[in-house]
Amino acid sequence: MIDVLKDAIDKMRGLITPPRYLSWQTLLLLSLFSWGMATLADSTEATPTTVTILSTGSWLFLTIAIWWSLTDNPVKIGTLSISPWITAAVICIFLFRPWTTERLQIAMAVWPVIATILVAIPSFCDWQLDWSLPKPAVRQDLIVLLLVNLLLSSWILFYFRIQHWFSDYPSLIAENLDSSAFVYRFGSDADNSSQADTLLTSAANNLVEQLDDTPWPRVERWLLNLDNSINSVAEGIALNAVRESVFWSLDAPRPQSVSNGYQIRLRANWLGPTANQNGYYVEKVCNILPRTLQKRTGNETTQTSTPTAQVTCLDQTNKVERQVTIESTT
Amino acid sequence: MGELEPVFPLKAVVFQILFLLVAIALEAMVLRQNLRLGYKQSVRYAAAINLLTVVVGWLAFLSIEPLFKPRLQAQVISYVLFDNLINNTLKPQMGWIILIMGLVAFFMTLILKLKGLELIMRALGTWSLPAKPKNLSRKERYLRSRTGTTQYKEAASRFSIAVLQANALSFSAILLLLIMRSYVFGGMT
Repeated sequence: MIDVLKDAIDKMRGLITPPRYLSWQTLLLLSLFSWGMATLADSTEATPTTVTILSTGSWLFLTIAIWWSLTDNPVKIGTLSISPWITAAVICIFLFRPWTTERLQIAMAVWPVIATILVAIPSFCDWQLDWSLPKPAVRQDLIVLLLVNLLLSSWILFYFRIQHWFSDYPSLIAENLDSSAFVYRFGSDADNSSQADTLLTSAANNLVEQLDDTPWPRVERWLLNLDNSINSVAEGIALNAVRESVFWSLDAPRPQSVSNGYQIRLRANWLGPTANQNGYYVEKVCNILPRTLQKRTGNETTQTSTPTAQVTCLDQTNKVERQVTIESTT
Repeated sequence: MGELEPVFPLKAVVFQILFLLVAIALEAMVLRQNLRLGYKQSVRYAAAINLLTVVVGWLAFLSIEPLFKPRLQAQVISYVLFDNLINNTLKPQMGWIILIMGLVAFFMTLILKLKGLELIMRALGTWSLPAKPKNLSRKERYLRSRTGTTQYKEAASRFSIAVLQANALSFSAILLLLIMRSYVFGGMT
């Protein structure tokens, strides 16, 4: 057991111990040393500049060490060496610190270009740092390599463009993407409900605010003038995704009579891109009933006063695929 | 941008590689026949100019698309994500818009390929067209007055016609593939 451990440690030491002064292992040790000093400086509350210089030095040594070691022992897939991309990835992490999505986008888009530059540098200058144009054949290969890597960058940027669409119009996430000729979704369709729920909930709240406890004749007038009334309900609704609001419109069909009141269906029409042939709407059912009938407790003033309305909305919403197309005005 | 969805443009990548291979093969054939280049050389040139046009096209799309009005952007999103056009006020004009975009794409790629091929050949030192002559020799002046052309003009037009043919051929082939895709796969679903 101890022998095995000793063996492993010896191997590790053999891998890390620099064979010469000028080797990548030296740089790796320098990087580790620099990082250790940076941590030490940070814990002893040195000035931020010192810490920055030390950690930058650590990163630089690490990058060069990785580049060097990968040039000596290239990582290959088939006959293609992917070492430049690995080194470029390290450089991108160092340069852009891609911890947020925006920075990740920049870092990913620049990554193939940096890889190309890494490949190109050795053919433009030699060890004495003399600049010279490479031979025509090499030049041609480099041009094609640069173009291929730019194409990779474009694909990465296109991926982020699609992500932008999803964040601008989150209702698209719930759609079925199987018929697309461009994108493929990994995993099952997201169960993410569309923004319709938010919209309908605030519309229902507005409706309750406008009609609850108002005299019954006013409710009937409100319902007669439904188209304008719905506009007043739709006013001031704020969606989580502001840009998506151009793709939603709120309306309601004629109210139906139920027992002694009315049933109204609030409809959120989706006018944006969708996988359904004719689009869809989401609706929420609200009941408007006169209140006095339940409130008959005493025999004094209730009979003479006009009944007031009571508005209740169901919690659940249901999504309906449209049978005929409507033309959106957006 | 919030969290990232696991939606990748993989189908676009596969189709693009397929179309690039078709275009490069066809254009290499035309360039080899008309410009008397070797097999390998013509494939390399065809690959370089096609990659160039594709990259410029992507960058143009990616920089213009965020500026689109919502109704046009809705059509683009609908086409990319759902492979159909949505029924908004722009729908009746979409045929025209696509036709014009196709024409613009054709002529832009033609110009790009002409200039790109010239630049690449110059960069490699294989540009064989003679420089535009300032002073024509007596013999050439006779030739020009008799046939209405010079050596330079003839070589330049041979070059342009070769690139035009190559471009037209690859565009037709890709258009055919696109039509086949929408009929074959559209018929299945």
